[in-house]
Amino acid sequence: MKSNVRQALLDAFKHADGEYISGEKLAQTIGCSRTAIWKHIEELKKDGFQVEAVRKKGYRLVTPSNKLSEDEIYLGLQTETIGRSVYFYESVSSTQKIAKEYAMNGANHGTLIVADEQTEGRGRMVRKWHSPKGTGIWASFILRPDIQLQHAPQLTLLTAVAVVLAIKDVTNIIPEIKWPNDILINGRKVCGILTELQAEEDRIQSVIIGIGINVNQSTENFSDDIQMIATSLKIELEQTVNRTEIIQKLCYYLEQLLNLYISEGFPPIKRLWETYAISIGKQITARTLKGTFEGLALGINDEGVLLLKQANGEIIEILSADIEIK
Amino acid sequence: MLKIQEIRELIRLVDQSSLDEFKLQHDGLKITMKKNKSVVVNEQPVTKEVEAVASVAQPVTQPVEQATPSVEVQAQPKVEQVEAKEETSAVVDENLHKITSPMVGTFYRKPNPDAEPYVKVGDKVNSDTIVCIVEAMKLFNEIEAEVEGEIVEILVEDGQLVEFGQPLFLVKTN
Repeated sequence: MKSNVRQALLDAFKHADGEYISGEKLAQTIGCSRTAIWKHIEELKKDGFQVEAVRKKGYRLVTPSNKLSEDEIYLGLQTETIGRSVYFYESVSSTQKIAKEYAMNGANHGTLIVADEQTEGRGRMVRKWHSPKGTGIWASFILRPDIQLQHAPQLTLLTAVAVVLAIKDVTNIIPEIKWPNDILINGRKVCGILTELQAEEDRIQSVIIGIGINVNQSTENFSDDIQMIATSLKIELEQTVNRTEIIQKLCYYLEQLLNLYISEGFPPIKRLWETYAISIGKQITARTLKGTFEGLALGINDEGVLLLKQANGEIIEILSADIEIK
Repeated sequence: MLKIQEIRELIRLVDQSSLDEFKLQHDGLKITMKKNKSVVVNEQPVTKEVEAVASVAQPVTQPVEQATPSVEVQAQPKVEQVEAKEETSAVVDENLHKITSPMVGTFYRKPNPDAEPYVKVGDKVNSDTIVCIVEAMKLFNEIEAEVEGEIVEILVEDGQLVEFGQPLFLVKTN
C-alpha cells in the first residue's frame, strides 16, 4: 500500500459515497494540511482516478478507473482481514510464487497478491494457464487459518463457493462448480483454483490460494485448443466487467465463509457447495494417476471427497482427479 | 454393514482396552481381533496398533469388499502400510526416521509427470528439503523432510492414495 494519507483519503471518499467533501474537512479528518490533500489528489489523478474539484463544494471521486491497483481494491473493500494488505504487480511470473515469498516473510492472514499479467501462470501439475495482460484476475491469497491440517483441503471447496458468489453478485450470472473447484459457465471453464499449503511439524504455516478468473477476454484471446472449453465473464455477459469489483466481492465472501467455517465447521460450506455443484447426479469420468474411473457422481462426503458409483455398483472415493462431465 | 472407519475405530478401542480377543458378528460380517501379546511386550505403542490392524485387515477386507466396495480403495493402502511397518521393525535399530503423511491424499514423487522425482533412495536431505507432494482436492501439500539424513527407502509409489499418518519415507539420521 502507498502512504497512510492516501489510504485515509480513499477511506474518506468511500464514506462520502460519491458526494462532495471540502478540502478543509478532508484535512481535518486526515490530520494534514489542505496543501497536502491537494498534492495527494493530484497523485490520485495521475494514477487514473477521476477526481472532480468544485469551488465551495470540495472534491468528489467520480468513477474508479477500470485499471487494477492497490488503491482501487482498497477503496471498496468490505472486510476486516481478507485483502486489507494488498500488493499489485503489473506483471509477475506467477502470483503463487510471489505469495509464497510474502508468506515466508511473515505476511498477515488475508494478504492478497494481484497481478495484471502472469507470465508463468500454472494449474494442476504445473499445467500452463493463459494469463494475458489486463484481461483477467490473477490473484493469490495468503491465509493462516486456525484449523487442523488434515481438514485444509476443504478450503478449496470453500474458495469455489466464494468465487461463485462474487461472480453472481457482480454479473447476475450463476456459475457452476465442477468438483472440486473448477468454476464453469455454460459448461466452459471461467475460473481455476490451485491451493498450496506450507506446514511445519504438521501445523499449518500458511495456505496460499491461487485464483485465476477469465474476466474480459474475447474469444480470440483463447488459443484454438481451449476455445471450446474456456470462457470469460465478458463473453458470457457480452459486456466488460469491472475486475476490481469482483476482487472486492471475492475478499468479502472469502472472509464471510471462513468465519462461518471456523465457527460451524464444514456442513454449511458443503450445503452451499452442493447448491452450485454441476457434477453431482451426472455421469462423469475421473482421470487419476492410477487409472480412469467412470460412473455416477453421487455427491461429496463430510470431508469433501467425491463419491463415484461405478457401473458394477462399486462406490469409490475420489480425492484427486480430473473430472469430465458427460 | 460396518464402514471401514467404524472398523478402524473398533480396532483402536480394542487396542486400547485390556481385551486379548474380540469377536463381532453383524449383518453377516464376522470380525475377529486378537492381540499378539509377544509384540505388545517388545514393540513401541505405535507398532502395536499397526500389528493389531495386520491381524484384522485380511479377514475383514474380503467380506467388506463385496458389499461396500468403497472400502477397496481405502483398504489397499492400509494393507501396504502394514507391510511397510513390518519392514520398519526389521531395521528399527538403525536409527531410522519416518516421514509420515499429514493428511489423506494422493502421493506424488515429482512436481509433474515429466519431471525428476523430488528425492531418490540415497539422496541426502535436510530439514527443509521437499521430499514429495500429498494432494487432495487440488490442495497441494509439499512435504518437507524435517530431519537431516539420507533417504533409505520410499514406502509408497507415485499416485498412490495415502492415509493420515502413513509412513512415506525412511530417513537414516545421524
